[in-house]
Amino acid sequence: MFKYILERFGAMLLTLFLVMVLSFMIIRLMPMNIFENPETPPEVQKKLEDELHLNDPIPVQLFYFLKNVITDLNFGTSVKIRPGADVFSVIADRIPPTVMLNLLSLFISIPLGLICGTVAALKRNTWVDNLISFLIVIFISVPSFVFASLMQYSLTYIWPIFPTLYDATSPQLSIRLWSMVLPILALALGPIATIGRYLRGELIENLSSEYLLLARTKGLTRAQATVRHAFRNSLIPISNTLISLLTGIMGGSLVIEKMFAVPGMGGQLVDAIKAGDHFLTVALLLFYSATSLVTILIVDLSYGIIDPRIRVGGTK
Amino acid sequence: MIDLKKPLPQELIDLPESDFQMVQSEEIHDEKFQTKPIGFFKDAMIRLSKSAVAVTSFTIIVLIILSSLIVPNITGYGYRQQNIAAKDLPPRIPLLEDIGIADGTRVLKNRKKEALSDTSRYPEGSVLEIVREFEAKGVAMVDVKVDAYVYAGVPTDEYHWFGTDYLGRDLCTRLFKGARVSLIIAFVSVVTNVIIGVIYGAISGYYGGKVDIVMTHFAEVLDGLPYVVVTILFMLLLGAGITSLILAMCVTGWIGTSRLIRAQFFRFKEREYVLAARTLGVGDIALIFRHILPNCVGPLITRAMIAIPGAIFSESFLAYIGLGIAPPEPSIGILLSDGQNVLLQYPYQTFFPAVLISVLMIAFNMFANGLRDALDPTKRGEE
Repeated sequence: MFKYILERFGAMLLTLFLVMVLSFMIIRLMPMNIFENPETPPEVQKKLEDELHLNDPIPVQLFYFLKNVITDLNFGTSVKIRPGADVFSVIADRIPPTVMLNLLSLFISIPLGLICGTVAALKRNTWVDNLISFLIVIFISVPSFVFASLMQYSLTYIWPIFPTLYDATSPQLSIRLWSMVLPILALALGPIATIGRYLRGELIENLSSEYLLLARTKGLTRAQATVRHAFRNSLIPISNTLISLLTGIMGGSLVIEKMFAVPGMGGQLVDAIKAGDHFLTVALLLFYSATSLVTILIVDLSYGIIDPRIRVGGTK
Repeated sequence: MIDLKKPLPQELIDLPESDFQMVQSEEIHDEKFQTKPIGFFKDAMIRLSKSAVAVTSFTIIVLIILSSLIVPNITGYGYRQQNIAAKDLPPRIPLLEDIGIADGTRVLKNRKKEALSDTSRYPEGSVLEIVREFEAKGVAMVDVKVDAYVYAGVPTDEYHWFGTDYLGRDLCTRLFKGARVSLIIAFVSVVTNVIIGVIYGAISGYYGGKVDIVMTHFAEVLDGLPYVVVTILFMLLLGAGITSLILAMCVTGWIGTSRLIRAQFFRFKEREYVLAARTLGVGDIALIFRHILPNCVGPLITRAMIAIPGAIFSESFLAYIGLGIAPPEPSIGILLSDGQNVLLQYPYQTFFPAVLISVLMIAFNMFANGLRDALDPTKRGEE
């Protein structure tokens, strides 16, 4: 198990390094004008460029960049969004809202999805099942930002139940959470549907299997057999989808954060891309990758807890 | 007995052919099939055409494709034709306007009552109804329902079915033109991904061994990169445009297909019929494409079908974060993100693209599901 963890961790670091090199190279290959004022004296331009190592060959620049990042977490300087500010300080307070939004969406979607799937499977071929299956198709197909628009218009404007935007300044956690309900919901609907669909399929298969019949013959009640045997066995394939769900949520949160003005990395990334602040963009992409990779690692390792058969020593 | 280890005696070799005679004189034939043979795909198509959901969604897809080809040409407006006077007009559709839906009216709030008689601000016939009268700070105010077309001074025979945007461009034209662009991007990127994936997976699966190890590891490393990050980076590098969108979606998009193909090749390459073909001298390329690949067509089609709504989603997602195609070209994503900016004032600008993309995604997903069931070999001959 230890070897397995080490291997996954190594793979994660390698990927992160690749993202770093790739994003740096790509940003450097782009034409970039960091001086908005065309009247900046040439010697000032020269000095600034030297300071940022912009005049060195690209491999040398890459070396400086990597050195700065690894030794003192210095990702460069923001040039457009907050000119002159250290990129890391721009990002630092943006991390918690993003992590909170993404993780809450994921954690809310798991129990809700499980409930939907179980109900649909147990009430198979009734109107309940049909309704849930219909909703599942819609939630899987329709993009999260369309739901976000719909909810923003109906639930904050026509019927003002929720605040239109995320309230970041409120000192009360409950108010902040209340204003985060809609973004979380918009992000969670897709995953809820995905989990529900998988569970329904798996559960239906397991409920009609022979080992369940055996369990019933042993004297277990229907509820006992369902929960202890069918349900548990159905969970394993679902844990495999968690990673792709999380990547979906992380991508969706880029847009959702912007729409609901959540002061997270997603909205910042959109701003940085639109403003052409490339140093900031690279750093944000890195943090995005790091967050998703760490979560994937955690999910990956937790397979072993869900299913003992996957507790392997690194072999596939 | 003839001893096979020794050379044959000369008299056996010299036997004339006329000494031989067929034991059985009449020819032997298999009995002819009384029914027409039904191949795998024909069988799948029969099952597909019996599924109401699949047929409905297929019809919807075809309808949307057709209207994306036809509608932009018959609305009478160009997709980049601007008219500042006619900006942000609400939808107005012939016939429907008579029953009060999409009739081109809008409620203006908090207007001074005395200004209503000023024909330079409210042209004649523009004020339809006073919704609410009230007083604020001693001034008589009204909420007034106006005919937005007359109010803006647009000729009354002008119809914008889905309204106009902030530059007065006809949204109906732009929406279907945008659907065309989005569909092209989706189809081309999916086809490219399938081609790359098939070639990569086929080589890695067919040759196996060291080639396979290297290729699989390369794909694995590439797959580790978060999709969103890679796409954004490549869009930044390549700049806005249809081609760069397609390329950005192809950086890691082919990996899933190549994995599928590789697995199928491992399943089929050791089969006896492949061995037979190889014994007969069939080359590697022919073996890959003519003999093994056709086995993978079913799952491949299903996969491509599922990937299309994914590509449409990616396009609108990138448009939302400002990395879509270059203006003034429309796409569904561009229209959605433009509409989102004025969601609370002019909800119709979001409504129509949102409905179109939702219907399109649902139809593609349903059709892909139907196709998957139809192409499932275990269900063959059920209906």
